[in-house]
Amino acid sequence: MTDRDRHRLELIEFLRTIQRPDYPLAAIDEESGLVESGLIDSLALLQIVTYLEQTYRVDFNERGIDPDDLRSVNSILALIARESAS
Amino acid sequence: MNVIGLRAAYRTISQFHENRRLIAWLSAQPWVIWLSPERRKSVLFYGAMIAGAVGVFSRNAKWRDYRALAPWLEHGLAFVFLLGLIYALYRAAINFKDLPPNVRRRPQICFHLLFWLLLGFLWFFPERGGLSLAVLSVIAASFPYLIWRAGYMLLSGQRGKALNSQFRDHLFYIWPIWDGTNTPPGKGHDYLSRMVAQTPESYARTLLGGFKLLLLVALWSVFLELIGALVYGDPKSSFNALFRRYTLGIPRLKQILSEQMALPLVQVWLSLYLELIWETLSLAAKGHVWVGVIRLFGFNIFRNTYKPLLAQTIVEFWNRYYYYFKELMMEFFFLPIYARYFRNSPRLRVISAVFAAAFVGNMYYHLLQHKEPLIFGEWSKLWRLLGARLIYCGMLASGIAVSMLRQQRQRSRAHVMPAGASQRLRRLRGIAGVWTFFAVINFWNVISNLTIAERARLFFSLFGL
Repeated sequence: MTDRDRHRLELIEFLRTIQRPDYPLAAIDEESGLVESGLIDSLALLQIVTYLEQTYRVDFNERGIDPDDLRSVNSILALIARESAS
Repeated sequence: MNVIGLRAAYRTISQFHENRRLIAWLSAQPWVIWLSPERRKSVLFYGAMIAGAVGVFSRNAKWRDYRALAPWLEHGLAFVFLLGLIYALYRAAINFKDLPPNVRRRPQICFHLLFWLLLGFLWFFPERGGLSLAVLSVIAASFPYLIWRAGYMLLSGQRGKALNSQFRDHLFYIWPIWDGTNTPPGKGHDYLSRMVAQTPESYARTLLGGFKLLLLVALWSVFLELIGALVYGDPKSSFNALFRRYTLGIPRLKQILSEQMALPLVQVWLSLYLELIWETLSLAAKGHVWVGVIRLFGFNIFRNTYKPLLAQTIVEFWNRYYYYFKELMMEFFFLPIYARYFRNSPRLRVISAVFAAAFVGNMYYHLLQHKEPLIFGEWSKLWRLLGARLIYCGMLASGIAVSMLRQQRQRSRAHVMPAGASQRLRRLRGIAGVWTFFAVINFWNVISNLTIAERARLFFSLFGL
């Protein structure tokens, strides 16, 4: 299992805890916007920020929060990969 | 035709922009094919030059009584200077990494400081006329419109997304032909470039979405005229002659405040709720024009207003009422504070970020909107215009913070959704609560000549105090 696969599984597991109760997570692909598809509300983005800070030590203080980085499963994984590489 | 048939017919008509045959027909039209993303961008670029010139040349039209600014030379010079400034900011955005570290860390604050330096200069030399001062005044008066739009360009540079962009990729949203208020509908380069339709089919789909919004504008405008005649007895309403005898004659909130009318409490509350409905519909109509036109140029962006009167929480209402204003406050105030402060205290972190956006950012945005008294340093006038808004923004920020924290708490609990009637009742209770909150705080948002103490007295009388 690659790092990306592991991060993906962890992320999906986390998204399940903050998603809207009536929305099937399996219904969205990795490119779909998490808020646009209705999976989470815009407020839940803040919980994703906290999750990334705590789990992957992403320092948003240094880089600022770019909502585009949190838009989809893929963009979050790309952010984690960038942060891990640096 | 039964109820199901009627529903299906309504859906077919109201969702015409998703009709596959219509999309296929439209995407095969030669003009849709000809209007490729590049050609549309060119139209917008040349349109921006015209919109910019018209904007700058008409800048003092509303405040001629302040100072005799008129000759074309002042506006011509101001236009050239502003174009140069936007280009310099564009260069800064694409070469963001080469900027000095302090500017790189807080580019927005540096940019706003430039504006305040200009204002300081104008306050320092208020009465010495001359060409240069007149040009600076026009530039200062143009800033509040440009400052957030150019701010999005800098944000794009800060995020490393402006690197391969061209000047024309930015100019069209800084001087947009769809105009709008100081809030940029469609935000900036990052969002617009993500939402642009690339194929004739997606362009056709976006065009239909734009047409739909423009049709809704017509519908809401008629509805507003009807409310004007039937509810308010507005003599300016087109339906006034028709419905004059049937009007309820309820006064507008502004009228109640300015004339300090002594009305039965029920009527005042009715006026408060109606004001909320009126303002929501008016804003929806305006926002649909901007977003409708942007969609006609192939940007499939979100609506500015999306069913806020059905929101069940305060934070949801704020998100749906004026989306692009909320986004502006979010990107320029909320997120920077959320990223930097109180990271070890989740509750304080949310509260400080909400107050930065809904209170500080909101107040600052509206301070810049009053450009005439700002340029001429008329502080008492600014206080008269904005004093009550301090209370409005304070109440708004408190409401949003409580609503956000409550929602976060509810999300962390595994709650069971109630079924049937009780779910509907819960939903209605939520909507009623949101209406009441925004109707009440709007009392402090309506501009009037009352002092804060006079307004407070009237406010407490709403609750029988």
